[in-house]
Amino acid sequence: MVVVNWLQVLFNSAVTGSLYLLAAVGLTLTYGLTRFPNFAHAEFMALGAYAGYTIAEQLKLGFPYSFIAAFISSAALGAASYLLVFRPLTHRGATIIHLMVASIGLDFFVRHLIKQVWGGEQLSFRMVWPYFDVGPVRITGLWVALILSAIVMVGVMHIVLTRTRLGKAIRASANNPDLAMASGVDVEKIALVVWIVGAALAGVGGLFRAADTRLVPLIGWEILLPAFAVVILGGIGSFYGALIAAYVIGLAENFGVVFLVMFKLSTDYKFAIAFLILILTLILKPSGFGRLFGEGGKVV
Amino acid sequence: MNSSATTKTTAVLVALIIVVAVVAGVGGYFAGQSAGYDAGYKAGYDKGVMAGGAKAYEKGKSEGYKAGYETGYKEGLKAGKPKGPTLPDKIKIGSLMCLSGFLGPMGQKIKLGVELAVKEINRKGGIAGRPVELIVEDTATDPKTALEAFKKLVEVDGCKVVIGPMASPEVMAIGKYANERKVVVISPTATSPKITTEFPDDYIFRTVGSDALQGKALADTALKKGFTKIATLVLNNPYGIGIEEKAKEVLGDKIVLSIRYDPTKMDFRTELSQIKDAGVEAVIYVGWYEDGQVMFRQALEMGLDNIQWIAAEGVYGEPMFKVADAAEFMKRAVIGTRPIAPTGLITYKLFAESFKKEYGKAPTMYQDTAYDATMLAALAIAYAGQYDGAKIKDALQYVSQYYIGATGHKMFDKNGDQLTQFYEIWKVEKVDGKYKFVGIGRWP
Repeated sequence: MVVVNWLQVLFNSAVTGSLYLLAAVGLTLTYGLTRFPNFAHAEFMALGAYAGYTIAEQLKLGFPYSFIAAFISSAALGAASYLLVFRPLTHRGATIIHLMVASIGLDFFVRHLIKQVWGGEQLSFRMVWPYFDVGPVRITGLWVALILSAIVMVGVMHIVLTRTRLGKAIRASANNPDLAMASGVDVEKIALVVWIVGAALAGVGGLFRAADTRLVPLIGWEILLPAFAVVILGGIGSFYGALIAAYVIGLAENFGVVFLVMFKLSTDYKFAIAFLILILTLILKPSGFGRLFGEGGKVV
Repeated sequence: MNSSATTKTTAVLVALIIVVAVVAGVGGYFAGQSAGYDAGYKAGYDKGVMAGGAKAYEKGKSEGYKAGYETGYKEGLKAGKPKGPTLPDKIKIGSLMCLSGFLGPMGQKIKLGVELAVKEINRKGGIAGRPVELIVEDTATDPKTALEAFKKLVEVDGCKVVIGPMASPEVMAIGKYANERKVVVISPTATSPKITTEFPDDYIFRTVGSDALQGKALADTALKKGFTKIATLVLNNPYGIGIEEKAKEVLGDKIVLSIRYDPTKMDFRTELSQIKDAGVEAVIYVGWYEDGQVMFRQALEMGLDNIQWIAAEGVYGEPMFKVADAAEFMKRAVIGTRPIAPTGLITYKLFAESFKKEYGKAPTMYQDTAYDATMLAALAIAYAGQYDGAKIKDALQYVSQYYIGATGHKMFDKNGDQLTQFYEIWKVEKVDGKYKFVGIGRWP
C-alpha cells in the first residue's frame, strides 16, 4: 500500500494555487472590465520574472528588490499595453476578436523582445532558500513567501474592492460600464488602474515561478493555460471566484498526482483533471463560481 | 638481431600494415572501391595479431596508426577522385539538433561533433572530390518541430541522410516519414528501446547503444549496492518509459513505486512527496537537463538527499551545475550511468586531438557518437557512389562492419542498433569550489 503524506500534498496544493491566483487575478479583472481575453498577460509574467532576475542575479541586490522590480516593470508594461494598444483599438471600434488577436500579436512581440534582451537560453536563480520541517510537512522560504504574497494580495484587494471609492468604481464599471459612466465614473481611468495592478501581480507571479523553477522566454505561456482555467472556473471578471478556483485547481492537480500514481498512470494527466473540472463547470454552471458572490454574476 | 628486437620490429611493421590497410580501406570508401580493403584488412589483422601477439601489437600501434592514417587516407582519396560519376557536385548532409528547449545546452555541444566530421571530410577533399554541405535545423526538443524541420530538410533541401534527431520521442515522430521517403536517419543520442521495436530493419540507425542495455546497467548498479526497495521516476516519453521497463525486468518487485512525469510541468513537489512517503532506498531517475535541474532543486528542498539517486545519462553534463541547488543535490545523492567509448582507443585519441585543435577544449558526451554518425554517413555515401537513400542505407550496413570510429567498432545489427555499448558509472564531486563529474566504475 502506498503511504501518502496528505498534509504535504495539501501544502503543495496551496503553493500551486497561490501561483495560479497571482497569475489569474489580473487576467480575470481585465477580461471583465475590457471584455476580451488578453493573451499578452503571459508576458506580464515573463517580464516580471526577467526583471527580477536582472536585479537579483545580475545586479546582486537580493530578492526583496527583485520583487519590487517585477512589480514595477510589469505594471509599466500593463499600462503601456492598455494605453498604446488596446485603448486606441477600442476607440476605433475593435471587436473582441480584433482585441484578442492584437493581444496575441503583442504577446509575440514582447516575448521576442525579451529573447533579444536576455537570450533564449535557460537562466536560473542561484539563491538558495532555507528549508525546514513543520511536523510532517517540508517547507521552504520561497513557498512561504509565495503563499504570504497571495494572502496579502487577497487582503488588500478585498479591502480596496469593498471599502474604497476606487473599489466601488471598479465593481460598477465591470458590472455595467455605460451606467457607471453615466454616474460619473471615468471608466477608462478605472480600466487603466486595473490593467496596471493586474499586470503587476502577474509579474510577481512570474517571478515566483522563475525562482521555483527556471527562466525561459515561454515561462508565462506555461502558466497561461491554467490561469485561463482559473478565470473561467471562477467566472470571468470575478475576483472572489478566481480566488476559489485557483485553489480548487491547485488541489485537483496535486491530489491528481497522488491518484494517478496509485493507478500507475503518468502524472501528465494532472492537467487533464483540472480541465475535466473546467468542462464540468461549463456544462453544469457556465458562470463559474462568480455567481456565488452576488446576483449579477459580474460582481468583481 | 635478438628476439625482442625482432618482435618489436615485427610489431611496428604489422601495426603499420593493419593501419594502412584499415585506413586505405576508409579512403577506399570515399572512392567507392572496397575490394582490396577486405583482403588487406583481413590479412593485416590476422598476421598482426598472430605474429606479434597482443602485447607487441599494443606497443606498435600508436606510432604506426598515426603515420598509416594520413598515408592511407590520402591514397584512398586520390584513387577515388575519378570515380563516383552519379554523385551530385555538392553532397548535402542534414542534421536535426536540439539547439533550444530541454536539451538545448546539450545540442549546442553535440552539433560541434557533426561539424568537426564535416570539416575533416572537406579538408581531405570531400567525398570523391565533392564537398559536403551541412544543413543543421533546430528541433527545439519537440517532436512536432522535429518532424517539421525534418520535412524541410527532405523536401526543400533534398537531403537523403540526416544526422539526428537527438531525443527518442523526436526519432519516433520522424521514423515513419523517413521510411516513406527513404531517407537515412542516424541518431547519435536517441537511446529508447522503443525505436528498435517500432522501426526494426529500416532507415533508422543510431551510433549509441539502446537503453535495453542502459536500463540493465542502472538496475545492476542498484542491485550491486544491495537496494531492495526502489522507486522509478522517469520522463513520460519513449526515453523514460524504455528504461523504466528494462529496469523492471531486472528488478521485479524490488520496484515499489513507479512515477512517470511531464517535463513541462516543473512543479514536482507532489511527485517527490510520493517518493519520500514510500520510504524507498533508491530512485532510478530518467530526466533531461531543464526538468532535471528543477527536479533536483525541488528534491533537495523536499529533503530527498538521504536517498540514493541513480540517473541515466540525460542529466550528465556541466549545464546541470548552473543551478546551485541542483549541483549540490547531485553531489550529495546522485550517481548515474552514461555511454562511453571503450578505454584506450587510438581512434578516440585522434578524435579528441582533432577536436581540441578545432575548438580549444576536450570533447564531452555524445560529441564522439555525433562525429561517428557523420563519418559513417559520408563513408556510406561514398561506398554507394550514388546520392540515393536506399543505396546509402545498404552501404551503411556494409561500411559499419569495418568502421572503427571515435567510440570504437560501430557495427550495426539488422535493426540499425549498436551491437555493443559500454557504460561509465559516474558521481559528482566538488573540487576547489567547482562541481565536476567523476567516473567510479564501468558496466558491464
